Amino acid sequence: MAERPEDLNLPNAVITRIIKEALPDGVNVSKEARSAISRAASVFVLYATSCANNFAMKGKRKTLNAGDVLSAMEEMEFQRFVPLLKDSLEAYKKGQKGKKEASEQKRKEKDKKTDSEDNDKSREEENEEEEERMEEEETKEGENEEEEAEN
Amino acid sequence: MAAVVAAPAVPAESELDRSGTEEDPREAVSEEEGCPQQQAGAPSSASHNRLAKLPLARIKALMKADPDVTLASQDSVFAIAKATELFVETIAKDALVYAQQGKRKTLQRKDLDNAIDAIDEFAFLEGTLD
Repeated sequence: MAERPEDLNLPNAVITRIIKEALPDGVNVSKEARSAISRAASVFVLYATSCANNFAMKGKRKTLNAGDVLSAMEEMEFQRFVPLLKDSLEAYKKGQKGKKEASEQKRKEKDKKTDSEDNDKSREEENEEEEERMEEEETKEGENEEEEAEN
Repeated sequence: MAAVVAAPAVPAESELDRSGTEEDPREAVSEEEGCPQQQAGAPSSASHNRLAKLPLARIKALMKADPDVTLASQDSVFAIAKATELFVETIAKDALVYAQQGKRKTLQRKDLDNAIDAIDEFAFLEGTLD
């Protein structure tokens, strides 16, 4: 598991895809350039987070919110990101709401059918599944990156 | 190298529609495609997750590396993920200008360095990529 921020890289495959989609066809990207961009992206996350956190602290809040991130973008002179981010956030929030309602529905249905014991069991299982999935993701990504490093 | 699959998302997310997004030429950025990565539970709501290409779990882990950060809302993690995607696109395009000046079709590390030196917004990257 990653312990230092330097170890936390974003998945190379995704970075590559984002780069390729941004550039015209026929343009290639060297491995060094790709890896530098990936590192730059990690630095960006750290810097943007720190910036956003300043806004949260100014507002005497302990929880970073999306508004803080938008303020950070302006501060970092990436204002042109803001309208796109706002749109994406809208869509994301709607999606989250839908998911929440869906899983609440599921739970209600379960309550109706089974008794409390079975309920707890299935909820535990759900949680375990979620954790497993996340763990799997992380280890798999870790493995992938190791492979890439060797290459 | 080919062993590294295009999407880092785990097979557990198999219900979600991958729909071979890599090859499709696209004008607008992202929107409703790409692998949803992470996102806890709710396998039924496949369509809701397709807004961020970068894994939110990883982004969140990076954010938490900052000792001053206590808590971050899910929206904020998503916003940072999205902003990072935009950043990657931006820097790639800006670096491309230098490659083209050098009459090359392959983006190289030096093109990136040039872009970082020349463009104010990338000043925060100076000295961080070595």
